[in-house]
Amino acid sequence: MDMLLNQYYLQIAVFVMVNAILGVSIYLTLSTGQLSLGNAGFMSIGAYTCAILTVKAGFPVYLAIPIGGIAASLMSIIIGFPALRLTGIYLAIATLGFGEVVRVIVLNLKITNGALGISGIPTLGTKISKMLSSFGLPQKFGGLSVQQTSTLLVLLILVLILVFLVFFCVRLNRSRVGRAFAAIKADESAAEAMGINTTYYKLLAFALGALIAGIAGGLSAHLTFFIGPKDFAYHRTVEILLYAVLGGSDLVFGPIVGALILTLLPELLRSASNYRLMIYGALLVTMMAFRPQGLISEETVRFWKSKLGRGSK
Amino acid sequence: MFWQQLVNGLTLGSTYSLVALGYTLIMGVLNIINMAHGEIFMIGAFVGLYLVTYFEVNIFVAMAGAMVTSALLGCLMETVALRPLRRKAVSHLAPLISTIGVAIFLESLALNLFGPQSQAFPTELAAVQMQLGPIRISLVQIIILGMSFGLMFVLRFWLSKTRVGKAIRTTAENIETANLLGINTNKIIFLTVALASGLGGIAGVLVGLSFNAVEPTMGLSMGLKGLAVLILGGMGNITGAMLGGLILGIAEVFTVAYGASSYRDAVAFGMIILILFIRPQGLFGKRQGGRF
Repeated sequence: MDMLLNQYYLQIAVFVMVNAILGVSIYLTLSTGQLSLGNAGFMSIGAYTCAILTVKAGFPVYLAIPIGGIAASLMSIIIGFPALRLTGIYLAIATLGFGEVVRVIVLNLKITNGALGISGIPTLGTKISKMLSSFGLPQKFGGLSVQQTSTLLVLLILVLILVFLVFFCVRLNRSRVGRAFAAIKADESAAEAMGINTTYYKLLAFALGALIAGIAGGLSAHLTFFIGPKDFAYHRTVEILLYAVLGGSDLVFGPIVGALILTLLPELLRSASNYRLMIYGALLVTMMAFRPQGLISEETVRFWKSKLGRGSK
Repeated sequence: MFWQQLVNGLTLGSTYSLVALGYTLIMGVLNIINMAHGEIFMIGAFVGLYLVTYFEVNIFVAMAGAMVTSALLGCLMETVALRPLRRKAVSHLAPLISTIGVAIFLESLALNLFGPQSQAFPTELAAVQMQLGPIRISLVQIIILGMSFGLMFVLRFWLSKTRVGKAIRTTAENIETANLLGINTNKIIFLTVALASGLGGIAGVLVGLSFNAVEPTMGLSMGLKGLAVLILGGMGNITGAMLGGLILGIAEVFTVAYGASSYRDAVAFGMIILILFIRPQGLFGKRQGGRF
């Protein structure tokens, strides 16, 4: 038990969860067939808003994280509105440029502390154990240490957020909005001819993606104790994109599986860490050439369902 | 001061134009955005740098070497990352993602091969300066201006007058019709990608000369500028790419000269947003119809 729950494994599990949330964020934007390359930028807005609110203005964490998400979402509407009127490629470029500009602005502003970044952000773990003790509850359970308990609780919160997001996406797919998303993804002109307001739905998907990216940014700020402009550079965007490309973006589980694999893989291949980005690049090219729909597509699910269904009969 | 800045802006802008031309050519013929163009440009810069420092060749020979290497790299990318996608019906985002993969691969390769530090060209070239009326211009600037404008005019002429140039324009207009008319479109695509990448390689050496710094991350920032020019001038519009690059270069230099120097990299993006609001087809783009 102690070996399984050591701090290193727990920390990796926490990162898997945050990355899975980011995977959901790119899934939502991709579900209308739009590619956003600004997720790291939105993450950065969420993280900085949240960190500044808690460190400098003394906001409570549970309020600051949603505010960070909303800030990112508002920004996405400003960016998305001109870009979404055009074809998908414009959005990709505009958001890519946006991510870079956010980086430049963050590097130059005083409130974000420039290249030094913001440190001393209260971590969720310590907040939780403080809260526990203020309620008079014990800070540790059974044989677990204080740190293990708080990390486990953080993990629990992240799992709950992720489960909620997955539930939300699954329900969304069955709703009017989700069907509009799917129609736009299949054929935008046909969807428009059916009377779907494509700009509205594309903007909605884009803003939802940004909201979740912003929240993930806020969460990651409160997990790592430090944020700097380099944390949210272009490579972060590519990593987030890879979750969807590897896992598949047809279903919400695709990017989550992608995030799981791509967070665990570098930990297992520590010795090859210099070549990580090279492997990622090669992976993107190979996936596009051989399996552009990703590991998990709707056909995969259908195939296994029919196979398992026949097996049980 | 004003004229001096204008010359500096033109020098910077002409390199942007060269980079944007690479994007435009591929956009025109293949209808995709080659996200790896910035990284091919960076590799070109490194090849030029190493030819000059280790083999001590003339700068023009180095440019030729950079051009050939980049063109070969472009062909390799076309074979590995783009051609397999054309055979299948895939989403229009697939080539974009595939070229992002090539970009990440090349940048990481350069980091491992050349190291993260910025390296400089030998300084003899930058030291030579001339005074022309109110303007002080260095030999490097003259080489950059001469090379880029020369290449742009040659390209323009070549595309409009020669047989191969016409074939490229036909392919850009409509690939199936071009095929029916007996043009070997696969060959044309290969040629276009090689040409675009070669131009990128030369631009890499020129930019490395003008900033006196070559580093693995230069591809990303330059690629972004090229994309901004692509939107500014209108997608797939060659005149637009040339003039758009000059406009962006001048705008950046004046931003630095009259105020916000640290926001220099944000100018390009500000222009994209503005253009998308006011004139989404780009400054020189038509709403529909022929691309070149």
